[in-house]
Amino acid sequence: MRKIAILFLICVAFAAACRTGDVRPSSGETRAVTDSLGRTVRLPMRIERAVSLAPSMTEMIFAAGAGDRLVGVTTYCNYPAETASIEKVGDTQSPNLEKILALRPQVVFVSTASQLEAYMETLDEQGIVVYVENSSSLDQVLQGIQLLGSFFDTRDTADRVSSSLNARLAKVRRERVRPSPRVFVQISNEPLFTIGKDSFLSPVIQDAGGYCVTSHIPSAYPKISKETAAAENPDVIILSDSDDNREPNPAFKDSRAVKTGRVYRVNADIISRPGPRLVDALEEIAAKLAESH
Amino acid sequence: MPNRSVLIWIVLAASLLMTLAVAVSIGSQQLTLFDLDDTQRAIFFDIRLPRVLLAACVGASLAVAGASLQALLRNPLAEPYLLGVSNGAALGTMLAFVFFEQFIFARPLMAFFGAALATFVVYQMARSRAGMNVERLVLSGVIVTTFLSSIIVLLTSLLDAARLRGFTFWLLGDLSQATMNGFYLTLVTAVIGTLVLTSQAKSLNLMMIGERDALDFGVEVGRVRMLVFAMASLLVGSAVAASGSVGYVGLIVPHLVRLAIGSDNRLVVPMSAIAGAIFVMLADTIARVAIAPRELPVGAVTALIGAPVFIYLLNRSGRL
Repeated sequence: MRKIAILFLICVAFAAACRTGDVRPSSGETRAVTDSLGRTVRLPMRIERAVSLAPSMTEMIFAAGAGDRLVGVTTYCNYPAETASIEKVGDTQSPNLEKILALRPQVVFVSTASQLEAYMETLDEQGIVVYVENSSSLDQVLQGIQLLGSFFDTRDTADRVSSSLNARLAKVRRERVRPSPRVFVQISNEPLFTIGKDSFLSPVIQDAGGYCVTSHIPSAYPKISKETAAAENPDVIILSDSDDNREPNPAFKDSRAVKTGRVYRVNADIISRPGPRLVDALEEIAAKLAESH
Repeated sequence: MPNRSVLIWIVLAASLLMTLAVAVSIGSQQLTLFDLDDTQRAIFFDIRLPRVLLAACVGASLAVAGASLQALLRNPLAEPYLLGVSNGAALGTMLAFVFFEQFIFARPLMAFFGAALATFVVYQMARSRAGMNVERLVLSGVIVTTFLSSIIVLLTSLLDAARLRGFTFWLLGDLSQATMNGFYLTLVTAVIGTLVLTSQAKSLNLMMIGERDALDFGVEVGRVRMLVFAMASLLVGSAVAASGSVGYVGLIVPHLVRLAIGSDNRLVVPMSAIAGAIFVMLADTIARVAIAPRELPVGAVTALIGAPVFIYLLNRSGRL
């Protein structure tokens, strides 16, 4: 019985030590900003320690010139190379909350609303601000980079990067091929997934000079009927390049794209992240659409 | 009642042909069946037809497996999906995909072994000195199902996410990957399984009265049990390897057949094959066209119909 009592006391003492040992980020001055979800968020004037919970978010923060303030990223964050030496806090779907708290960030940047709810309360209690940035188009990515520049006080770099990306974007838009080839974007071969109305890629295909044959389908990444896919008979097929998606689906065997060899692979990391490298994807796709046109 | 059974055979055969005709005439693309250009011909012969035919074989396999397991275990709730047999086959298929991707036959083979192992484990767990009751069997099934599910989840987390991404969809039952070769393989196992199990129907009838009584009548109970387990595993294994876990088919189809014809397994087993084929062809047609050009997993459609029927049957067996 005494042993149990002692053990209990040790536990209590340990818990108390943890509480008092808590190093809270200095509160200091804050500014109120509105995030992508319309929430009012009080960001510290000077952000020294931030965590990003999405690869696109990480790339945007680096592009904004504030990569050195990141103390935690996800295991999916593999670009730029500097991310290799940053602490990993789990993946985007299930970040490790304890790890995040241990890193004592002032702000956690997330890219979707779904991540938010489960972690919001705990992070809030710890005085950590959650900011949601939900870029879903090229223009929003560029705006997002500028915004991040103002948050991190790296406005010069952010504006320079953003306007150079903007110039590249404008150039591609000016030089769009006519008439637009009909494009099918294959996200996964079996089962056959593509992009729909709500995907940020649909406008990218359009900016690159293509007509996305599935851009009217509701939802972002629909599983599409092979019958419809075959009937659309695309001129060009773009594969999001990953192990299970190197070849066009057999449903396309008689399509113009396969017959004329206009099947292109684009790096899945670039094409699947609404970040600054989406402009790279845009240029790559535009160049391919212009090929032998 | 030979007249009644003849009538039901005629109704079943006519329904099968009609369902087949309906299923191949509608899809996300409108096809005028008599004047097809090249693309339309490819859509019909390479995409739609194999899928409809595979749906029929998968339905027949699962319904026959369910009918014979119910007879053998003397339990109306025995069903491949609910007993964890489908999950065993799914895990087998997944392992085959990960480790023996290059061998085409590894998938159905490993699915068969997975199904057989799950069947054996559930049977051993459900047996008790007092015999096997409904609760014990269903509980054993739940335990095996959830255990196998967690292994599947664990595997998908550990292995390369991109390669197994399709599996989450496939696990819910998905016929969109149908090919003619897949159809032929499933057809062969469906025919073998149905014939062998129908040949054991007389023994199953006697065993439904009681295994001891069956022994007195000269039924080799142990051999029949092994044969039923093996054939049910073969049927479920090949169905799952081709289309994932399509649930509840083995539950509701044999019950509807029994409502129509009674519990003589010489009729229930082969009629379940036909009725199962009709049910899954219809369910998959709904899956193909309900939100076209998008698709639903066929397992979601069968579960949507099957779960309420399951609850109804559970209530009824509680009252008995």
